[in-house]
Amino acid sequence: MTMATSTDARPVVEAEHLSKWYGQVIGINDVTVSVPAGVTGLLGPNGAGKSTFMKLMTGQLKPSQGVIRVLGEPVWRNPAVFSRIGLCPDQDSFYDRMSGTEWLAALVRLNGYDERRADEAARRALEAVDLVEAGGKKIGSYSKGMRQRVKLAQAVIHDPELLVLDEPLAGMDPIGRRRTIRLIREWGRQGKSLLVSSHILHEIEAMTSSILLMHNGRILAEGDVHQIRELIDEHPHTVYVKGEDPRRLARAFLAEEDVLSLQLEQEAVIVQTARPDAFYSRLTELAASGEAGAVGEVTSPDDNLQAVFQYLVK
Amino acid sequence: MPIHDQGYRHYGGHREAPGRAWTVIASAGIRSMAGKRKFLGLLLLAWLPFLVEAIRFYLVANFPQASILAATRESYREFFDYQAVFVFFITIWVGAGLIANDKRANALQIYLSKPLTRAEYVAGKVSILVVFLLLVTWVPAMLLLVLHMLFQGSLSFIRANLVLFPAITLFSFVYVLLASFTVLALSSLSNSSRFVAILYAGAIFFSDGVYGVLYAVTGSSALSWISLGANLRQVGNIVFRMKPLYPDTPWQVSLLMVIGMIAVSMLILDRRVRGVEVVS
Repeated sequence: MTMATSTDARPVVEAEHLSKWYGQVIGINDVTVSVPAGVTGLLGPNGAGKSTFMKLMTGQLKPSQGVIRVLGEPVWRNPAVFSRIGLCPDQDSFYDRMSGTEWLAALVRLNGYDERRADEAARRALEAVDLVEAGGKKIGSYSKGMRQRVKLAQAVIHDPELLVLDEPLAGMDPIGRRRTIRLIREWGRQGKSLLVSSHILHEIEAMTSSILLMHNGRILAEGDVHQIRELIDEHPHTVYVKGEDPRRLARAFLAEEDVLSLQLEQEAVIVQTARPDAFYSRLTELAASGEAGAVGEVTSPDDNLQAVFQYLVK
Repeated sequence: MPIHDQGYRHYGGHREAPGRAWTVIASAGIRSMAGKRKFLGLLLLAWLPFLVEAIRFYLVANFPQASILAATRESYREFFDYQAVFVFFITIWVGAGLIANDKRANALQIYLSKPLTRAEYVAGKVSILVVFLLLVTWVPAMLLLVLHMLFQGSLSFIRANLVLFPAITLFSFVYVLLASFTVLALSSLSNSSRFVAILYAGAIFFSDGVYGVLYAVTGSSALSWISLGANLRQVGNIVFRMKPLYPDTPWQVSLLMVIGMIAVSMLILDRRVRGVEVVS
């Protein structure tokens, strides 16, 4: 089987003195960085500049200053390189009245696929994200997790060398998260390069150990995730869990030692945990067993990461 | 038993060369509209003036009593006036949502992350509207000319009015491009196709209304350039080598206004069609 790979030593993204400002506001501030091939996590609190950096590397924004090269080529106004990149943006981008298959086939035709091949590619991409059965249904009827996966499918459908995924797990339920993390790791193993942004360390850690830390538009650190792991653990991690029966969820959480506090809301529980790894793992099992009813959206505010970054920049 | 590879199989087929992506946008849009029965009904209705004119040409050619109805160069110019109402409705129906719907669905960021330039995107969108508008302007007008020739059984009218071929073509394109770029520019300004439709109708009727009031007050057509419709009608008359409709406004001014309107629309499209909205 042939495979599009970028596993050579050359960095997939190279930025030199890259800056982007929006009027008076700086999005990216004099960033010089090389992103190696493989899976890399882009970690930073909201407003750190992650999305701006991703938009610059996918040619959506023009740098105010500096240079950015992707897969060895300048990316701004270079649509030829876009066929080697797959972007999964953070916001929902759908025609709700189209089915998943129709939407994907229409999009991949922009990559030069003919009609018949586009349908085949759509089916393969849906297979890749475990969404074949829902392919014929209207996107408007998809759950949040399914919408995220069909968005991932459009990013991977044309077999790109580099995948840029902006908060791909945002709002997913625990099972969807686990499935998507598995997918990302699998794509990494296949030889694709991936840059995945998140403000949750636990998510990134489940995918890769290679991270870039961003804060206030700058790259704060780069390297192995384990090096900042302890710092993160010193700060309690807050998780917002939506479920059909929050009281049962709360009861299940209370039994655990690492849960520091619980706050019950009408449709959700807000949990503070000292060990996010263990908590997320148990949450996935709980969702799969159905013991505490259906578990929906799981989100995490970035307060805990913000605290770590404040500590790092002191 | 051989075990087949169940993994992702990479595309090994033919890929269109870069620069053709606009045709994908155009064909998808045309097919989407052509699949709507009500819209097809409107398209059919838009051929009613053609049918009436064709019957008229037939009667003139076959019944000497009907010679009073004989077509002239002016008849072809007037044909575009009959089509104006259909052009208006098709422009709104097809054009209002062309970009607005993509903006509402946040689709631009994903579209423009593919090998598709902004110019190709706009070209694809404009083509959708241009195709449908030419179907109710240029195509029936040219067919009328051919029918005219066939019913008459001679080339005498065509020989005497050779200008009609380029005139119909030129005026159709000016008309269609003005309507298409104007509504597309408005479509890029909003996420709501209904609002765009109101804006477009407002731009047409308001500018016509203001000119009408000024004409009533001053008694002069010197300010006809403020009306989108008047500019187009003035240019139409010149293209068909007829007397200017608004004698107090030089036709060059009307032509400049039409070209200016298309240029401004392109400028708006250049600024508004972005994968990422940048708010400074």
